[in-house]
Amino acid sequence: MAATKKQSNKFRQFAALVVSLILLVSLAAGCGSQTNKETSKEKVLNFSWAKDVGPLNPHLYSPNELFAQAMVYEPLVQYTGDGKIIPWLAESWTVSPDGKEYIFKLRKDVKFSDGTVFNAAAVKKNFDAVLANGKRHDWLAFVRQIKETQVIDDSTFKLVLKDAYYPVLQDLALIRPIRFLAPSQFPESGNTAEGIKQPVGTGPWMLSEYKQGEVAVFVRNPHYWGTKPNVDKLVVKIIPDSESRVVAFEKGELNLIYGKGNISIDAFKQLQASGKYETKLSGPLATRALAVNSNKGATKELKVRQAIQHAVNKEAFIKGVLFGTEHKADTLLAANFPYCNLGLQPYEYSEAKAKSLLAEAGWQEVPGKEFREKDGQVLEVEFCFPSTDAIQKSLAEVLQGDLKKIGMKVKLTAEEPGAIFQRQKDGNFNLISNDTWGAPSDPHSLVGSMREPAHADYQAQLGLPMKAEIDRKASAVLVSTDEAKRQELYREILTTLHEQAVYLPLSYLTNIAVYSKNITGVTFMGSQYEIPFDKMELQ
Amino acid sequence: MVSYIVKRLLSLIPVLVGISLITFLILRLTPGDPAEAYLRLSQIPPTEAAVAAVRAELGLDRPLPVQYGEWLVKALTLDFGRSYATHRPVWDEMMLLVPATAQLAGVSLLITLLISIPMGIFSALYKDGWFDNFCRLLAFTSASTPNFWLGFLLMYFFSLKLDLLPTLGRGSWEHFILPAVTLSFAYIATYIRLLRTSMLENLDQQFVLYARARGLKESWVIGRHVLKNAMLPVVTALGMSIGHLLSGSVIVESVFAWPGIGRFCVSAILNRDYPVVQCFVLMMSFIFVIANLLVDIAYAWLDPRIRLKEES
Repeated sequence: MAATKKQSNKFRQFAALVVSLILLVSLAAGCGSQTNKETSKEKVLNFSWAKDVGPLNPHLYSPNELFAQAMVYEPLVQYTGDGKIIPWLAESWTVSPDGKEYIFKLRKDVKFSDGTVFNAAAVKKNFDAVLANGKRHDWLAFVRQIKETQVIDDSTFKLVLKDAYYPVLQDLALIRPIRFLAPSQFPESGNTAEGIKQPVGTGPWMLSEYKQGEVAVFVRNPHYWGTKPNVDKLVVKIIPDSESRVVAFEKGELNLIYGKGNISIDAFKQLQASGKYETKLSGPLATRALAVNSNKGATKELKVRQAIQHAVNKEAFIKGVLFGTEHKADTLLAANFPYCNLGLQPYEYSEAKAKSLLAEAGWQEVPGKEFREKDGQVLEVEFCFPSTDAIQKSLAEVLQGDLKKIGMKVKLTAEEPGAIFQRQKDGNFNLISNDTWGAPSDPHSLVGSMREPAHADYQAQLGLPMKAEIDRKASAVLVSTDEAKRQELYREILTTLHEQAVYLPLSYLTNIAVYSKNITGVTFMGSQYEIPFDKMELQ
Repeated sequence: MVSYIVKRLLSLIPVLVGISLITFLILRLTPGDPAEAYLRLSQIPPTEAAVAAVRAELGLDRPLPVQYGEWLVKALTLDFGRSYATHRPVWDEMMLLVPATAQLAGVSLLITLLISIPMGIFSALYKDGWFDNFCRLLAFTSASTPNFWLGFLLMYFFSLKLDLLPTLGRGSWEHFILPAVTLSFAYIATYIRLLRTSMLENLDQQFVLYARARGLKESWVIGRHVLKNAMLPVVTALGMSIGHLLSGSVIVESVFAWPGIGRFCVSAILNRDYPVVQCFVLMMSFIFVIANLLVDIAYAWLDPRIRLKEES
């Protein structure tokens, strides 16, 4: 009896504990909502990114995030979405007839965000810092081409190249490595590869607060020469999980989601359908493509490669998997890229055409069997894709289904990204994901990389009878100083690649934006990695 | 006792060296080149020259024994090199991130204990009653609920729908509630069941009958006699949980954007960031071993029949 009484006392104590815990939580919640509803007159744009923005060293790569580097540092020239180059920190430029000397006239009204002056000496100092770390920038042919940098006067800077290299301006428009840090922020050694003092550039934004892995806050650069940003503060919250990002956005902790892959396509569609937010889709920024290996197995045959082109229902893939968020790609590079408006004849979707091509190649249907055969061999191709990419996984299934219809067996090999890169290098694939570089690097970087054995492009083209010719033309186009000749060479290269069907372009990658209705001015830049926060306005 | 602890601590050295060597070798055996991973991370095409430059920069071009030897010597002074991905000293990164994870783990552990101990006791005292059945149901639910799903569910209701708690990040103590509850959920059920079983076993013991026969107060019997003995398996589980909470919080950290060690190390593995992975494994091994030692000491304190064998 006594025991039961004790037990019931215990129970009461326990109940009290539970109640106090509940109270504790509600108390916490109360405080939480108070802080959330804190109002301020400042115009604050809340944004999120999956990774920390990094130390914002303009001359280095990861962990510096491209979009943040582009906010703080500016290029000499800017790339516009339609393939044009416009003046930026350089007002104008002249190129010597042999294409080896570039003289840039710099803007005179530019200051770094710490108030120091931007001049030719600062430009030279930055160029020299990049050159001092040349090996790291080996991937960029432009850096390898620089012979000399000179200060002519305070606002004139001269660049001397070893050989003519026409895409100088395109490469100067890149977010890294050639943008400008205030000379006052160089380390004592002058070698920015060792780190910088503070991220001070000429861009519209400056970093005002930073907590590694948590948040980076940007405010307006008071000395900015151009139109100053409309919002007072840009808060970049680091949220690694895309679904969490969506919840934070729905809760109003974020006002903007921007960029490719920052949220799932499902989530994008759902937010769009809710009608509560604005959504926007950019024009083509790069191409989602597969490389088709002309040097391995069944895809060695041109007709098999062409059959694949006709067999894949790109529209169904875009509608079913991408929910219409990308545009259909008929050619490897979109027509809005320089030299790429070639009017190539698309491979239309046609099962019948694909089947007849396979039959012509000698791959015959065998009664009672699912797949075509030739000399007792089953028609089989291997598609290798990164297992971590949800879209590629769905694409693999679409591809398998479409090619099965024409009697082609697709072996799906999903591997971790490291292993896929290895396959891209050694050519151990029939089909492999191989997106293009995007603006402003294409077409020159793509064409340039076709000559590098470490690229899937090189491996996929290796079986073509005219591979040596393609490489020769690729080298010629990069050093040609004649615009008309360049156009002709690009036409020849891209037409051959199209006809030889060594790429299966699927869709043109786009940037997406989802934002609350009180934001205006959300636009897209020429490059997929830049975000024009300075044009956005908060009502 | 003291010499036992000293001996155990000394035996840590070969264990940790062994673990570091195994980690070192396993990392080198996994496919994927860190130099290339780094370049890809930077969106740089890995040309041969670029890969070679990065390999040389990271010291990956030297023979393996040299690499390991150098790493070991430096590690002794807590210099674990620089992260390939962030270029910051690994130890600094760890010291920046470990506190966040440790705080989260600590709060989760506290919640776990605060909830599971009373519930475990009552489950046992009211065996097969409605409360016990409720606990059983809770145990089933928690064992079968994935962490990330629960995290989203809590976030959805408490943060988005009810607007009671902050969604993400770290700042005030309210930020702890959702991630810590998510993290504790699986442990709470385990602990309740563990304590219940152990309590029931002990309640059947003769010393309980004797204590009651002596007319001791029931709360005294339960508290001093039964609970103390019943805590032994819980203490063991606790020892393991500390390690798990610290190393396995990656999903919760990702869901709640908690800037902790878990997600840092997962991305380090994907990026083949050797120095970070090596340091992380070593650190976690150390924590596991120390937690085990603490468990053993707690055992001796809780149950005087268990004597730490100093001579062994």
